Amino acid sequence: MDPLAKPSKIEQAKAELCGLDLAPRLGDLASQGWESLDEATLTIRLKWLGIFFRPVTPGRFMVRLRLPNGVISADQLELLAEVIDRCGDQGSADITTRQNLQLRGLLLEDMAPLLQALEAGGLTSRQSGHDNPRNITGNPLAGIDPEEIVDTRPLVEVIQARLLGPAGPRNLPRKFNVAVGGAPDSFLLHNDLAFLPAEHNGQLGFTVLVGGFFSAQRNELAVPLGLWLRPEQLADFTLALLCHFERHGNRQQRNKSRLMYLIDQLGIDAYREELVEAFAEPVHPHDGSHLVSRAPRSGLGVHAQKQEGLHWVGLHVPMGRLDAASMQELAALARTYGSGELRLTEAQNALIVDVPCDRIEDLLAEPLLQRLRPDPSTLQAEAVSCTGNAYCSFALIPTKGVAQQVLEELEQRIELPEAVRMHWTGCPNACGQPYMGQIGLMGAKARKDGQMVEAAKIFLGGSMGAEPKLAELHEKGVPLSDLADVLELLLLEQFGARRREPAGF
Amino acid sequence: MRSALPQWEPAQLPACGSPDRWGWLQQLRNQPELDPEPWLLALENGSLSIAPDLLAVLAERLDPPAQLRLLRWWRQQPDPDPGLPSQVLRHRDGASAAWLLEQLAPGPVALGFALPLSALPQVVAAALLPLLGHQRQVAAWPVLLCWMRAPIATPLRRAALEGVARGLSVWPRSQLVAGLSALAGDLDPQLAAPAVDLLARLPGARRALVPLRRCGLDPRVAERLGRRLAATPAQPLLLVVHGRAGGQLPAELVALAAELECRRGAPVRLQALSAAAPAAVPAVASELLQPGQVLGLVPLLLLPGGHVRHDLPAIVRHWSAFARVQHWPFLGAWPRWQAALARELAELAMQDYKPAARPLLLHHPLEGPLAARYLTTLERRTGAQCVATPYSAEHLAELKLTLAAPDLAAPALAAPALPLALAANRLTDQLAEQVGPPLLQRPGLRQLLLAELEALP
Ligand code: SF4
Repeated sequence: MDPLAKPSKIEQAKAELCGLDLAPRLGDLASQGWESLDEATLTIRLKWLGIFFRPVTPGRFMVRLRLPNGVISADQLELLAEVIDRCGDQGSADITTRQNLQLRGLLLEDMAPLLQALEAGGLTSRQSGHDNPRNITGNPLAGIDPEEIVDTRPLVEVIQARLLGPAGPRNLPRKFNVAVGGAPDSFLLHNDLAFLPAEHNGQLGFTVLVGGFFSAQRNELAVPLGLWLRPEQLADFTLALLCHFERHGNRQQRNKSRLMYLIDQLGIDAYREELVEAFAEPVHPHDGSHLVSRAPRSGLGVHAQKQEGLHWVGLHVPMGRLDAASMQELAALARTYGSGELRLTEAQNALIVDVPCDRIEDLLAEPLLQRLRPDPSTLQAEAVSCTGNAYCSFALIPTKGVAQQVLEELEQRIELPEAVRMHWTGCPNACGQPYMGQIGLMGAKARKDGQMVEAAKIFLGGSMGAEPKLAELHEKGVPLSDLADVLELLLLEQFGARRREPAGF
Repeated sequence: MRSALPQWEPAQLPACGSPDRWGWLQQLRNQPELDPEPWLLALENGSLSIAPDLLAVLAERLDPPAQLRLLRWWRQQPDPDPGLPSQVLRHRDGASAAWLLEQLAPGPVALGFALPLSALPQVVAAALLPLLGHQRQVAAWPVLLCWMRAPIATPLRRAALEGVARGLSVWPRSQLVAGLSALAGDLDPQLAAPAVDLLARLPGARRALVPLRRCGLDPRVAERLGRRLAATPAQPLLLVVHGRAGGQLPAELVALAAELECRRGAPVRLQALSAAAPAAVPAVASELLQPGQVLGLVPLLLLPGGHVRHDLPAIVRHWSAFARVQHWPFLGAWPRWQAALARELAELAMQDYKPAARPLLLHHPLEGPLAARYLTTLERRTGAQCVATPYSAEHLAELKLTLAAPDLAAPALAAPALPLALAANRLTDQLAEQVGPPLLQRPGLRQLLLAELEALP
């Protein structure tokens, strides 16, 4: 790193003014319009408040929340439904792969009242975008999971509170993902910092893994740092690690600024030593072994909770997209049949929790469950997709649309005994995490009949189990028109699918 | 100025569809400096064609003059890509705003087909209208309004409405409310629904939304209106009124409060001035108010007499100790109420076939300079003459005789008269034949008051 090199435009903008300082001025900004909204404020600083300028629809903004551990109440969901309902056709909400929600189609005038309403409703959108610690994920079944090792909710809450508190980082070199595992299926190695449940001298705590991330240039699973922490140490340790990253991360080359590059630069042992010194609390060395042993459960369908007589009902949200009416109905169902609480999963689905046995049948008969199905086809159940070209200019294919169309086509043709994790992403930026899929699909271009056409690369073999593995390239570019055929063959040959009998037989 | 990095020149850009193109563009995007000049030149001289992926990279680097230059080029294209302007025009910039205005100011007539070179293709107009609003220049308001109202294809009117949305807080408020309220009644729900949603975003939205309930909206739009109103719940109201002797509440006011409670969907309570404040104010306050809610305190008093000057502040202080109170001016000072009085008086004059006579407003006597100023203003606004009327039995008897048979000593009393009393009192009881019913028994005034109170936050 050249310390004399001129900081990038983004680094300059961040250094000049922290986006958080814009919060009290939001009302004025809306009424004055853009005078005070220079390009850097509009496209960079507002993200510190969770407000995203969308270049494809200037004047219509996106707001990304923080939902620690993916927990949301019916009241909160209703509040958000009202916000996007006011945006008419332009309004929608996406469940993200970080158990979070982002709302689309908002006007600048919506921001000041929205931020107030979020605060009153116990929500925040603070520091949810750009170079910030993103939504902290945990076991979506925390507190209700019969297989639970440790309830991640209070831990995630405390970490968030510490990071957003006065000592928290405001100017990281790059975005940062933190996650806490609490069940045998808590696969979290795609995070910059993951805490996985582990024992040390018979005591339950967490082993620390660092440096996981996916990008167009490089994909890494997190590696053991060699430290074990007690649960109550997680928040302070996270803060110490992020403050270290804030001081020492690469600010000259954005494409080499994720945590793993700093680890490469220092070496894992030296990095650990620096962290131990910065943390200034006794920690224990650890071999990195942990209690996570298998790929995440989908959570879809009806399942008994650890609380006797209660169940959660997992609903499949096609491509993670919700409209205002579905959100309203979902909130109403959570209130009517459960305790009024919902959970969001990394697979972009929603769970209604605390449903008593005698209410399950009525819940399953609700019309909303025809759209958000508890029993989607094995093809749809674990399909994940990035935004795609409706909102992202870098997409090489219309991701969500293609995924939906191909899956529907395949449903007609084959039966699949077990769900297959299919991760769709529009371009090599890999927001849809294709390397984590049993099948990963990435937007590409390919030649067909002498013409360049839209296509998909196919990756195979991603595993989130005991032997985690990133998916590897299998096909360089399958034209979209051939994709259903190629996937059909793949599913027949490698995933135990069977051809459906043609109708009439 | 030439790019410092010749390898990132337009000539090097892999062709559309090339597998190398995405990576090349991402690298271009990551360059610390990018001079857009060679790219603009290449577009202008036709050696480069623009595609969404290239545009996404370039648009981030365009300064205001460059964005306008690209737009001008786009406008000259025989088949312009409607997606381009929104990607390019991100800066708020005077020159760009002026250019947009120039394109759209002629209104829908610019869509004419007779002059193909200068005519504005629909697709161009639809792409530019939202951006004109995004520029937030107040001069754009009449232009957007004109497109929004014109009898043209719905997509174009929607584009104009989207322009209104994107600059919402900049437009003249009363014209905006009028324009959107009219559009809310449009037969096309694609226009009416967003109009309702935009009205709901304005400060004091209930005032604009409540009247729409009686407009016979399309059922889907009416449902939407219901949702918007439900999301801005009405405050509980405390109406401070004159009680009758013995502390009784007049029947007209009790009925008004009941109907109002129904229409607002929130508690409405009456407090008589003469009665002592309820002993259980804290309990009443907690019964009325949800946590965080504000109590609206509305003095339904028609004159700035001693009650308004002394008793009212005491009542406000009392309630403020237990709740957050929003204190409204006394009813007699509300301009819409005064205008309604003027209408009532004018109708009265017409009924009495005495259009030339200056009507009378009979009021309880008032003291002090504030009262005198108020009465002068009221006379000016209503065109009536205010006549102080002591409520003593003796005086009322005298007045009755005078009004029944005006003589030369008091010619003014030959005019139609209105009692400044909301509910029945000694004046209206005793002079019923001469002054007619109290104001709340008059349908026009009652409806107006209900509508005004219903629209309060
Ligand atoms: S993967 Fe590519 S297309 Fe998908 S959201 Fe990320 S940048 Fe956009």
